This record gives sequence, structure tokens and C-alpha cells, in this order.
Amino acid sequence: MKRGLVVLDPAEVPEQERAERVLRLQRRLADEGITIALDYADVHRSDDLAYLTNLCLYWNEGILAVPVVGEPAFLMKLSPRVHPWMRRSSTLTDLRSGKGFTALVEGLLAGVEPGVLGLVDAPLWPATAIEEVRAAAPGWEIRPLGGLVREQRLVPSAAERALLREAQAHLEAALTDAAAAAGGTRIALVERALRGAGFTDVLAEVVRGPDGVAALDVTGQYRFCWVRSARLVDGASEPWAGDLGRALAAAVAAVAPGVAPGVPVAAAEQVLTGLPADVIASATVVHQADLSTGGDYADPAERLPIGAVVVVGVEVLFPDGGRVAVTETVPVEAP
Amino acid sequence: MTSDLADHAEHDLRYSRIRAAMADHGIDVLLAYGPGWRRENIRYLTDARVTGSAALVLLPATGEPVAFSTRLADLGVIAQRGWVTDVARLDIAGAAALVERLRDLAPSRVGVAHRELLPQALADAVTAAVPAAEVVSATALLDDARMVKSDWELAQMRRAATVCAAGWRKFVDVLEPGLPEYRIVAEVEAELKRLGAEDNFMLIASGGDEVTGMTPPGPRLLEDGDMVRTELTPQMNGYWLQICRSAVVGRASDAQRRSFDLFNEAVEAGLSVVRPGVTAHEVAVAENDVFRKYGYGEYCGARYTRVRGHGHGLHLDETPIIEGNHTVLPERSVFIVHPNTFTPIAGYHVLGDPVVVTATGYEVLIETERVLFETPQGVAA
Repeated sequence: MKRGLVVLDPAEVPEQERAERVLRLQRRLADEGITIALDYADVHRSDDLAYLTNLCLYWNEGILAVPVVGEPAFLMKLSPRVHPWMRRSSTLTDLRSGKGFTALVEGLLAGVEPGVLGLVDAPLWPATAIEEVRAAAPGWEIRPLGGLVREQRLVPSAAERALLREAQAHLEAALTDAAAAAGGTRIALVERALRGAGFTDVLAEVVRGPDGVAALDVTGQYRFCWVRSARLVDGASEPWAGDLGRALAAAVAAVAPGVAPGVPVAAAEQVLTGLPADVIASATVVHQADLSTGGDYADPAERLPIGAVVVVGVEVLFPDGGRVAVTETVPVEAP
Repeated sequence: MTSDLADHAEHDLRYSRIRAAMADHGIDVLLAYGPGWRRENIRYLTDARVTGSAALVLLPATGEPVAFSTRLADLGVIAQRGWVTDVARLDIAGAAALVERLRDLAPSRVGVAHRELLPQALADAVTAAVPAAEVVSATALLDDARMVKSDWELAQMRRAATVCAAGWRKFVDVLEPGLPEYRIVAEVEAELKRLGAEDNFMLIASGGDEVTGMTPPGPRLLEDGDMVRTELTPQMNGYWLQICRSAVVGRASDAQRRSFDLFNEAVEAGLSVVRPGVTAHEVAVAENDVFRKYGYGEYCGARYTRVRGHGHGLHLDETPIIEGNHTVLPERSVFIVHPNTFTPIAGYHVLGDPVVVTATGYEVLIETERVLFETPQGVAA
């Protein structure tokens, strides 16, 4: 749950960089003939919104409207009483609340010459929200778009890389301390350390396999950057547990610009030979930009762009529902 | 579950209740959709905690259910729990496994719980699988089924109530001038997790009469005389329960006390009408009438507040307690009465208790006293 620190700090991400994010999207909209882009967000999947505006959608759902020229507007199902906080903690000035999207979109389009409404990541929009938009926009073309904003987020800026490094350092320190503590206190220690360091969201889990092997798997949001780290905390000396580390190293070695995630995944899976019977072992390569959804919506054939940051993971699933995972964060760089 | 017998009883109770509702609505196949922030129906039907960005349970009118998740790890967790043993990966693009199962069943009427959140990609897959089928919303069907809690469910919520109380004690314990808001959350969160909470929903606000609502925490430092408001909502074994309280850093002012008295009277008024069959509207009216009596009726509207309470269960924000919502709150339903809103007396005030409707009225589920808390750190103790 997003219940940690939310802050807008120009010392971390310069105002000019934030403005450039929107301008870059607007240039793309102009190239594609889009009048207004609409980007749906809910509390679980709102990284586009955060990237473009620094707004934390801590509950409910909304639509970010980005015109080809001009300021973005946020149409939301939260009440107006949170607008003052939203203005303080984001770059948004145009905030509109309502019970449904049809009236909100109607208000947005009032007085605007009909053109093309582009739906960012259209397949992931609730179908009913698309119907509401369509009902509000007679005379407009409704055009499905891909992940335009995600594409921008895949390669972090220097400012974002600095935040990612800071976040990763907090995360690794928290895991080190928690690994040394008694089993029942580990999650509490991670929560205190990370939220105390200013993380907005923390998803921490102790996962277990047979032979006393356990891992601590933590995904966290720091400002609007995501980091994940999973490491063995018990039973690391078990022979099969050693395989995980070797598989992870093989996967990491295979990460390179231009390769598909399947390449490091295959490299890891070739090494996973000595595991207990009846397990499902797999490797994953997830962009930091996709960590909030665990890479669930990513295209497995998508090539890794140079400058991206990915989390390589090796995971073993056991018949009793148990799970053990290890990860490493890897920048995608030329050899 | 405490025993196989109890487990079977809980499973059978839920499935028979839902299948009866499906029959009433002429639904051949129920699809319960669970996006990352609304997984309550997945939990209700599988009794498993899933983590995928999207999950589904397909329940035919007769025959075995099937569970789907975008996250491979969820499938083993669901199957191991044993309520749904047929599991498959959910691929958003095409959803081949879901399409295949639906085609085999060839339903004429499909009910989708959380249809209002179903992604276009999955809606297209359903249409492709059963183009002749009528697709209707089954959100209310599941909401209604989950509203009446079993003994086992109430036991989980009582556990959550204990954790609520402990979380609030920690909250008050850490308050002191100079502490940033987000550090309060860090300490409370650690305490809740230490006590076994799976998750927690928490909003907070600190300051004086300028505070108009609660949000995630910021870097603001507490000051002597601040009123610090929160709603803590730990989740234990799937079930959420909330406590709403406010505390003053140091000694409360006369205005803060007057504000507390107003809100406490509103809580009492809301509670006083709770009985089997009361509506959400009636509870909200009882609360709001107190504000109206003292000339603060304008602060009960949407400009200043969202709801006057809400249901609890596998989702933290169920039936809204609000004027105009005539949903009946039956025996064994659980909700919080919280007239949280802004008034000019002392700013936004947070106060409320969760209750279960009993045969004769209600039972407050938390042990925390309903007072305006003060901390000794803010003054020369």
C-alpha cells in the first residue's frame, strides 16, 4: 500500500526535467496525430501518472489527460478535498473530481474542436472506462495506443539513476540487517527501515522452500522509482540453494543491449539442474519501470534498450506452494 | 483454518451462497476478476493470498472452479490451499487458457464480478470465447455474498481488531514534536507487521484547523499542539478492520475538545440506530443530524468528506455509509461508523469504531477507548 512518504523535491528531479517528460510525450503525440492522450491509472498501476506529474494515486482510479499542447489535467474519482495536497505534492494544476469518467471527460472536451483521443496502454484500460470515454466524446476518434509513457520510463535519467542507487542502498542495508535478525521480526525491520528512509511503498515477504531454505524478497517504491531485492537468509549452504546463485550469475552475464529477456532467462535455466524433484524453476528479467506490476504486462520479446535498469531474478516454486527467489539489479550497458 | 471440518464448512457456505445467487440471476458462469488493488473476490473463492497484477476465478454453475493469475507463483499457492485445484496462467494478451475453458463451458449468461475494472484485453477474450453469451456485471452479487460474515470470518476480524488497538497504541507512543509524519507511519507499520498483519491501509494528517483531509504522509515535522489524525486498517488473514482516532501532541485545546465532543456525539448517534436491517443511509443520517443540529451540516457533503463510514471484510472499503445509499446492513455485517470530516472548530477530525451487527443491535469490535488522546511529550510533563 502506498502509505509512505510522498514528496515533490526539485533538488532530486529538476523542474525542467519534469517539464521535459511531458514535452517529450507531447512531441510524440504530435507525430502520431493525437489531440489528447488519456492515460488510465489506479492505485496498483500508476507509474505513468507519477512519472509525468509526481502525483501519488494512493487510492481509487483516475485518468491523466495530456493535450498535444498545454498542461495536463487529472480526472479522478477522489474527492476535491485532497486537491490541496495534490497541488502541493505534484506538478498538476488542473484537477477534476467526479463520480464517473463520462462527465469528467465531457468537461475536459467542452469547447475543444473534436480530434483524436489516444488511449495509452489501451488493452489494460477497463473496458467500461473506454465506454465512458467514448460516450463523452461524440465526433472524436478514439485511438488505442501502446505504452508511450512506459517507453520513456524504461531508460532512467541521471536524476532517476541517483534515486535508484539511493533506494538500492537503503534496500540492501535493510535486507542485511533483517537477515541477521530473528525470523519473526524480519518484515517489521524492513518496514521500519525503508519507510523510515522515506519509501512510499514496501512489499516485503519471507518466502520458504524445503531444507530450511528461506529468502527475503522485497520490492519498494522510493519517490517514484522501484527497486527489488531478494536474497537467501536461511539455508544458503544447501547444495541446491547454491544452484540459484550460479543460475543468477549466468543470467546476469547474458544481459546486454539489444537482447530479448528470453536470452538471460535461458542462460539461467540451463544451470538449474540440481534442484529438488517436482519443482518449477524459472528466471525473470523485469525492468525497474515495470516492478510495480512485477513485469506481468511486459512483452517477453521486447529487446533491452541500452541504459535501462533491469532486475534479474531466479525463482523456484515448490509443490507445497513454497517459493525461493534471488535477484540482482543490472544496468543494461555495452560490454 | 482450525480444522478440516471447519474448512469444508466455510468453503461450502461460500460456494453454496454464490451458486444460489448465480441461479437467481440466471448466470451460467461467474468470472470473478481481481486486479492488483481489488483482490477480495479471489480471496473469497480461493482462500489464498495472490500477488499477481490480475487474477480470475471461473466458477461454473455446476462443476469445478478454475483460478488464473498473471503470476506463476500464485498458482501453486492457490492449488495448495485446496479450494481451487485447477489453476492456469493468465496471459493478458489473448488469455488463451481462459478462452479455452469458457469455450468448453459454452455459457449463455456470464456474470463478471468487477466487470467495471476488467481490462479491455480480457473483455475481448471473453467476447471471442463466447460471442453469443450475454455478459453482465456480477459485482453486486459478490458484494452481497461477502457482506454477511461467518463465525470464522468474524474470528479473523477480531484478530484484526486486536492489531488495530496495538497499532494505535504505537501511534500515540511515538508522537513527539520534531518527528516527521512519515516516521510515524514507519513505526506503526513495523508494529503491525510484527503482529502478523499482511498489509495495512493508512492515511494521516497533522497540524491545526487548516487540515482538510488525510493523505499519505509528508515530511512535515510535528509541533506541540498539533492534532494528528489517522485511520489504521490492518489486514489479518485477508480481513481488514479499521480504527479512526485523533491524538494531540501535548495538551488538547478547548477547540480540539469541542471538536471531539461533536464527533463523538455523531459516532454515538450513528451507532444508536444500528440493528439488523438498518440501511447505510439511516446510519449516515443519524451521524449527519448531529452536525446539522449544531449548524455544521454543510460539512457533511462531498466538498468536505467522502463517506460517513464503510463496510469491512476482504476489501477495506466496502458498502459506503452515506446518505442516499439504501443498502440494508444485515446481521453479521461489519462496518465502521466514522463521521470524519472538516469543520472550522479544529480542522479535519477523525473518529470511528468498527462494529458487527448483532441480533439485538451491534458490538464494537475494538477495545480502544473513544477519547481525544493526548501525549505527555508535547508539554513539560
